[in-house]
Amino acid sequence: MAGRGVAGPRALIVGAGDPASSVAAGLDARGWAVQHLDDDSIEWTDATVDQHAAPGGIDLVVHARYPAASRRKADLVSLSAVDWHAAADEPLEAAIRLARGAHPRLAEAGGTIVFLVPLMASAGGEGFAPLATAAEGSRLLAKSLAKTWGGDGIRAHALTLDPSAFLDADDAAGMAEANALHDPPLGHVPDLSSEITPIVDALTTGDLAALTGASLVADGGLWMPG
Amino acid sequence: MSDVPTPPLADVTGLLAGRVAIVTGAGQGVGQGIAEALAAAGASVVIAARRLETGEPVAAAIRESGGDATAVRCDVGVEADVSVAVAETVERFGRLDVMVHNAVSPPGPPLTLQEIDDDTIAAQITTSTTASFHCATAAFPHLAKDHGTLILLTSPAGIEGSGNLPLYGCVKGAQRGLLKSLAREWGPAGVRVNAIAPVAWTPAMDVATAANPTLEARLRGRTPLQRIGDPAEDIGPVAVFLASPMSRHMTGQTLAVDGGRYLGL
Repeated sequence: MAGRGVAGPRALIVGAGDPASSVAAGLDARGWAVQHLDDDSIEWTDATVDQHAAPGGIDLVVHARYPAASRRKADLVSLSAVDWHAAADEPLEAAIRLARGAHPRLAEAGGTIVFLVPLMASAGGEGFAPLATAAEGSRLLAKSLAKTWGGDGIRAHALTLDPSAFLDADDAAGMAEANALHDPPLGHVPDLSSEITPIVDALTTGDLAALTGASLVADGGLWMPG
Repeated sequence: MSDVPTPPLADVTGLLAGRVAIVTGAGQGVGQGIAEALAAAGASVVIAARRLETGEPVAAAIRESGGDATAVRCDVGVEADVSVAVAETVERFGRLDVMVHNAVSPPGPPLTLQEIDDDTIAAQITTSTTASFHCATAAFPHLAKDHGTLILLTSPAGIEGSGNLPLYGCVKGAQRGLLKSLAREWGPAGVRVNAIAPVAWTPAMDVATAANPTLEARLRGRTPLQRIGDPAEDIGPVAVFLASPMSRHMTGQTLAVDGGRYLGL
């Protein structure tokens, strides 16, 4: 865990590797006081936030915790029940517990919680059923929290990113091919630090105060649902 | 009752003749309605229920109506239970064509996420995602033999979220992530994967309306067709459709069967 201790709005970023790491670095560069829980082996309880985050309100919680087991490509029928638990159920339960544990801190600050989810959550991904399960659960958790916590001054969103934000290059390319995701209209998939982080940042601002429960897709136009 | 005209049901006699289905959580409510509808369409149906005392009467009633049904005890959260249910089904009927995972842990009363206890979180995940995994993996080898299908019961809460039942919305959404990925994964094997998101009269709905006398009127008022679905006559026929060749080019879809209450697209 890296605690930067810089004065400014406070962000808690959860998840090892990208996209969490790049977003944490990007927010730090934009003046946020960032705490990054980058150890996916932490067993989540309601006390985890209090154990690892400095006291006081938190303006932004970003969830992108998908352990290595979730990101490993495998046919569903090749998985054992233990594999499934590690890849799907445990990450989903951790997301729920993170949100539950963060609630008082977010309420204190009138903060925002953002779930970063891979595109396969909404679009499906061959070989990534556990990841899609955990991530789509998180996306719907964001909608439910938006409805439940709006009265507490907390906003909740899900931000869908292209597969390469979560997978290694070969797997991301394979999924793009399988899902016919070719040639993003904007010419490239977004850079996490310079293009995704500003969106996360913007979601916390008063300019977007009327927005909650949004499921935004920030993938350069690869996928245009609905 | 609603004043909105309701058309008669289609005659689907024999549509699923020779097909074999398992329906989890079929001892009551939506699962029972789906089991009855599948049987009426000619399928042999296995009533998979956590308690045989709820499953047996449903199977008996189907047999008395001229259908073919049997009951097995099955806790969908226990991998071995699901494997045994599938094995017994194949041993008795020689095949498995339709796996319907409907069993769910009751979502309980409206609570914020921070009011929900750990046991409830575990139970909701177990019956929704863990059990979906158990049902899918146990059934797949048999479904792949002859254009079988997996049907998951989700909820409008798993599409639009729920302020009253945030955990339920989360786990029901998770099931939809699974189904879309499985649709891609199993399509080449000819196995279709779809979901139904119903709003229907169930024992849970009875409890909810008893506790909140205005709930039924509010639900009807928010529903374009102005009534709450019947498990056998409104939800069941959609399961029959998804189990039949009529939907042979559909996979990865969630059908909201809720009288139009959710209009998402």
